[in-house]
Amino acid sequence: MKKFLSLTFISLCAVLPLMAQGDSLDFLRSTGKIYSVVIVIAVIFIGITILLYRLDRKLTKLENQIKNEQ
Amino acid sequence: MNGFWWKIGGALIFLYVLIGGLVIPIKPGITSVTPSNAKSGEEMSFNVVGYNTHFLAATKVRAWLKLDSIHAISAKEIQKITENEAKFTFSIPANFPVKEAVQPLSLIVDNDVDGVFVQPNAIFATVADSSTISGEAWKSSGIGQFSVVKGIKFPYRNILNETIRNTFFHIALWFAMFILLIVGVYHAVRFMNTGDMIHDIKSASFNKIGIMYGVFGLITGSVWAKFTWDTFWTSDVKLNMTAIAMLIYLAYLVLRGSSSDHDRRAKLSASYSIFAFVALIPLVFIIPRMTDSLHPGNGGNPALGGEDLDNTLRLFFYPSIIAMALLGTWMSQLLIRYEKLKEKVLLKNQ
Repeated sequence: MKKFLSLTFISLCAVLPLMAQGDSLDFLRSTGKIYSVVIVIAVIFIGITILLYRLDRKLTKLENQIKNEQ
Repeated sequence: MNGFWWKIGGALIFLYVLIGGLVIPIKPGITSVTPSNAKSGEEMSFNVVGYNTHFLAATKVRAWLKLDSIHAISAKEIQKITENEAKFTFSIPANFPVKEAVQPLSLIVDNDVDGVFVQPNAIFATVADSSTISGEAWKSSGIGQFSVVKGIKFPYRNILNETIRNTFFHIALWFAMFILLIVGVYHAVRFMNTGDMIHDIKSASFNKIGIMYGVFGLITGSVWAKFTWDTFWTSDVKLNMTAIAMLIYLAYLVLRGSSSDHDRRAKLSASYSIFAFVALIPLVFIIPRMTDSLHPGNGGNPALGGEDLDNTLRLFFYPSIIAMALLGTWMSQLLIRYEKLKEKVLLKNQ
């Protein structure tokens, strides 16, 4: 459950700039709204990275456990 | 290298989708026409703003106002302002071939660089004298013989613009999610039949990655909605039903995490994942089709037809599904290998 909460949270962080209204972020809508595609790809990339990071940590734990037994 | 080719294949296909899907340009289109109304019998100039057009680079720009399949008038004068802006002057005839007070007219623009593009119902013409029906002035248009342009381009859609490229990522994610969840439910059934723990591990791993894709799908859909529908979440049926389906699947994860007894956990989660998958089908495929939805193809005929997904989009959309399914399988394999190893260590300790 923790994994999905953190995943959702960090992905939302990528989306947060959209919520802010103002001239400084109008570029997000420029060039035919191409930045929506950029954000979508970023969300997928961030998500997969989180999965890899968590799997890495779990594997390290398992490796240490095996090492301690020997 | 044995058994590794499909992983590299998945990554390469995804790279192809990423590069092709982002580099290929969008077809030209018309963003706005001002003013949007006209009166019969007057000469009027319309300021046309285009997207991805090349008015200056083109040697021959032509424009028509089309009433129906046989009636149209050609532009009297064309003044190029910038690549994406031009002024078209039309003299609207006094008499219309149909007996109606207000008539929508479509604007057709053709040039030798961009080819032909249309803005349907661009101008609404008010007919002053609708009692006289005459199509005389609408005949001399010279419409037809449009310029032919080579090369592939993605279709232009108003409001969507460049975000049509999200088709390769957002929609393909959902399709890949389905493939992964089908594999997950297959292994759940196999576990019920054989009682072999390996099927429990496989089922859980595929379901986990499938749920992850579903969460990605909701977030990316939310981003896309912000750019096109101007809100992160609408009360659209498809959104709400999919959210319910994802919550049912999230409960699957809670269920797996709650029980420490391995045999009981395996049996419970196998039966629950079959239930969740069976609930997913009416929630995502049937209910949204029965009412109106903002998603294309819902509230009527299935999507993926006509101009919503034309052949140039298919060129990247289908490979994207395959790539995402392969990458998802790869991630599931990693989870399976981890769980197997953990099982081994646990057994050794006992």
